[in-house]
Amino acid sequence: MSDYPEKLDAIIALFEGLPEEEKRENLIAYADQARRHEPKPGETFDLEDVRKDEECTDTVGVFLKLDPDQHAHFRITLGPQVQTLTKAMTAILCKGLDSSTPESILELPADFVPKIVGGQLVRIRSQTVYYILTRMKSACRVYLNRRRAQAD
Amino acid sequence: MSDNLEYAHPEVLVSTEWLAGHLNEPGLRIIESNEDVLLYSTGHIPGAVHIDWREDLQDPLVRDYISPEAFAFLCGRHGITPETTCVFYGDKSNWWATYALWAFRLFGHTNVKVLNGGRDKWVKEGRPLTKEKPSRPAVSYPVPPKRYDAEIRAFYQEALAQSQNKLPLIDVRSPGEFSGEVTHMPEYPQEGVLRGGHIPGARSVPWKKAVYDDGTFKSADELHGIYTEGCGLDQGQEIVAYCRIGERSSHTWFVLTYLLGYGNVRNYDGSWTEWGNTVRAPIERS
Repeated sequence: MSDYPEKLDAIIALFEGLPEEEKRENLIAYADQARRHEPKPGETFDLEDVRKDEECTDTVGVFLKLDPDQHAHFRITLGPQVQTLTKAMTAILCKGLDSSTPESILELPADFVPKIVGGQLVRIRSQTVYYILTRMKSACRVYLNRRRAQAD
Repeated sequence: MSDNLEYAHPEVLVSTEWLAGHLNEPGLRIIESNEDVLLYSTGHIPGAVHIDWREDLQDPLVRDYISPEAFAFLCGRHGITPETTCVFYGDKSNWWATYALWAFRLFGHTNVKVLNGGRDKWVKEGRPLTKEKPSRPAVSYPVPPKRYDAEIRAFYQEALAQSQNKLPLIDVRSPGEFSGEVTHMPEYPQEGVLRGGHIPGARSVPWKKAVYDDGTFKSADELHGIYTEGCGLDQGQEIVAYCRIGERSSHTWFVLTYLLGYGNVRNYDGSWTEWGNTVRAPIERS
């Protein structure tokens, strides 16, 4: 059985079956969708984490909302200097992890990234594709810690 | 500082305005080279072809550049002949554009130009981009008889000799990388270096000093002040520039060679990822 949430698993399966050229085209299509995952006017969140880290070229904002069933929904903002691959991974993760629990996101292995991106595009200089997942996990961790603290 | 200096080779720079008026000029090929591996596919200057610094220019196995045969094939499939004028541009203030230009020079292709300000300036000015990839009939590019490594490329032993002989070494990395405070450049992941610092005797002149905020090159007067006067460089001197993997130093190599006219500048492309990992390589920290 797959270690990945169902929606992410479907995206991985799609990419794994694609030849390199189509993989790139799909990544660009996802990158074009990244702005759709920005917060909408009037939305409120359980956690907002906007910052500029050393290892990323621009500011990234992660906005987390938990529904009554404790399923996570993410919105993400990216600065203009963020690379295309990172934009693509943002849209993929917002879609693929939507409605997962924070606990399952924390346990998600990062080994799916090369399955989506392909070996040729994962370079040292492109390692920030992992950054968005790290930030989403960080938001889940902070949220869970707060919830535990409130319960104590 | 001297007044009203001109670039040594002003013909190597083209403006966005000039390029916009020469997009379909026969004998001219526009080449985009980026750090962002997918950026070209999101939209590029009409007619531009994409040359990737790793997939196209580097040997897939050995840390080296492609063979002359592979270079001839690469050019041929993009419709480039030895007479073609190649105009390079890209992201990151033309880091990879100047790297690709330098690699073309390794194979003796001298008809080269750079779009001043690079991709960012073109986009910022609202000039056209297209996703349509140009299709041009393949042409025959004769296999270059040699690679000009000895002329414009420095290897570890040559960089070491440069240091030992107290000849000019220009470290173009950020001040934190130069001092050894960090082993990666700001906003980038660690690229696998075990030691921080710089080559003994190197001068710190970050690449960015050569450009204005919009990525265009500073005036000849300003460049003269930064390099000729600031570093005490003399014409005829052997000069070696380095960074981490050779792309930022390609930018400085371009400035010194084409804009200031130094005749003996080499890019140490092994740079800090080689030096900082080499057993017993001498290192200074400051």
